[in-house]
Amino acid sequence: MTARSMETGVSATGRAVAKTGVWARIWQQDGPGYLFLLPWLIGFFGLTVGPMITSLYLSFTNFDLLTTPDWVGAANYTRMFTNDPKFAAAMRVTFFFVIFSVPLKLAFALAVAMLLNRGLKGLPLYRAVFYLPSLLGGSVAIAILWRQLFAGDGLVNQFLANFGIIGPSWISNPNYSLWTLIILSVWQFGSPMIIFLAGLRQIPQDMYEAASLDGASKWRQFWKITLPLLTPVVFFNAIVQTIDAFKSFTPAFVISGGTGQPINSTLFYTLYLYQEAFGFFRMGYASALAWFLLLMIAAFTAFSFLTSKYWVHYDD
Amino acid sequence: MTTEALTVVGSRGSRTRRRIFTVVAHVLLVGASILMLYPLLWMLASTFRPENEIFTSSSLWPSSWSIDAYFRGWSGLRVSFGTFFLNSFVIAILSIAGNVFACSLAAYAFARLQFRGRNFWFALMLMTLMLPYHVTLIPQYVLFLNLGWVNSFLPLVVPKFLAADAFFIFLMVQFFRGLPKELDEAAMMDGCSPWRIYWKIIMPLSLPVLATAAIFTFIWTWDDFLGPLIYLSEMRQYTVQLGLRTFVDSTGQSDFGGMLAMSVLTLVPVFLFFLFFQRLLIEGIATTGMKR
Repeated sequence: MTARSMETGVSATGRAVAKTGVWARIWQQDGPGYLFLLPWLIGFFGLTVGPMITSLYLSFTNFDLLTTPDWVGAANYTRMFTNDPKFAAAMRVTFFFVIFSVPLKLAFALAVAMLLNRGLKGLPLYRAVFYLPSLLGGSVAIAILWRQLFAGDGLVNQFLANFGIIGPSWISNPNYSLWTLIILSVWQFGSPMIIFLAGLRQIPQDMYEAASLDGASKWRQFWKITLPLLTPVVFFNAIVQTIDAFKSFTPAFVISGGTGQPINSTLFYTLYLYQEAFGFFRMGYASALAWFLLLMIAAFTAFSFLTSKYWVHYDD
Repeated sequence: MTTEALTVVGSRGSRTRRRIFTVVAHVLLVGASILMLYPLLWMLASTFRPENEIFTSSSLWPSSWSIDAYFRGWSGLRVSFGTFFLNSFVIAILSIAGNVFACSLAAYAFARLQFRGRNFWFALMLMTLMLPYHVTLIPQYVLFLNLGWVNSFLPLVVPKFLAADAFFIFLMVQFFRGLPKELDEAAMMDGCSPWRIYWKIIMPLSLPVLATAAIFTFIWTWDDFLGPLIYLSEMRQYTVQLGLRTFVDSTGQSDFGGMLAMSVLTLVPVFLFFLFFQRLLIEGIATTGMKR
């Protein structure tokens, strides 16, 4: 009897030990990881997931920040596509900007990177000079400079006057205003150029030597060796630059004084979103705009990844 | 014998061709460099020249030199640019502290600690990199408004302490993974806690990546325009970017010299980073594909 009671006593304490042991083991195994992750987790839920769900909800409401949100169903989305000429203008401007600025910027970046990659002297200096504009370009100061360069009495027209050409005020002419912003974007080709340079260095030299021995021209070498082997870098640069172009805000805001004028010709999507949200306090509609932007970027990225297997060369 | 002679001739021909190529390439590159830098140099020159010459001279050399524009611009608004610079520096330095600390904590967990769900959280973190901030902008504004933080630096700084700039987590994870694992294992054997390993081993060895993160944080927060535009409405809280923008709207048409002078001043800190940490910046871009 004593033996039995002793036995149960032992097994009871054994179970208790095992039970605290499980929690201790979980704590020991997962505790430190989650403790270190805690600030990020708070931010992830509090500043990303929570707000995302909220803005999705708000996009189906009318919300002016002061009164409670008023559920309107899909009205914001139908208004976007059927009854909002400014939205249509913003889409046109943004797509025009993306379609022209990104390929031009990448073409410049690749051309200069290839020139620099031929073992020229002074590479660090050239690289620094070309990189500087992309480092400074996001600031208000450069937008102000651009406004002055392309003004009616700006530097560009002073230069053209030397050839007897009287240029228009590029900034306030709706036919040219968007092009000044495209030029500003292309001027910042330095950072994709640096990524291209790093990619070009990965291409083994002996491939070119073998191709030259076989009599392949430089032109042919570019299309058959350089470009195919560089497609992963082209792919990466194209995605990053396109998403960035979709989100472009500061230059258009400063150059047009926050209006997107003349005649909405510089009304970038994000500028329109800003106006709706913080100019007119139509937060519900602005949330719908934000979610549509997210969908466009997601669709573009998914499309790029799906088509990438047909044109991006992966070394495996 | 004939083939030998041929290759000699061929190499001589290709050598001249190479020389021509080199000269043409340098001419092109120098031309492009001048074209790229001309606007910047012209802006710098314009801050020193007489006001009426800004609209008539495309030269890089003022006819007479004066630093008046800097004084005019500095106190051209109700609040002096000294305040704007101070505000920008305070925000930038707090942001650097937040990013370096919070992102390295998360990166250490992802790179070095074993815990359930690690890959899941890591994948979610990578997804936030692609997210346009616009989808969280309005609810975040509402949140900060309800907390009473609008019109203070808190909405611009606190998210950094919650590792909201996930890009730097990614950057640091890449670096931490490259550090030899034997170091942690040996320390673990000696009974070191994860915290001590992070603080005493990983952080001291990671100064290069921490410096890269700090520099890019500075440049990004220094240039940030939308954040201050939304959250700061009192002029004495303005950052330099908001100050400049206000300058354009209020006096820009009458005092071009002062406006350009202040523009130049706001570029100086970023330019200094470019001058002294160029290698770090270029390596950062080349290895991670940062956009700027």
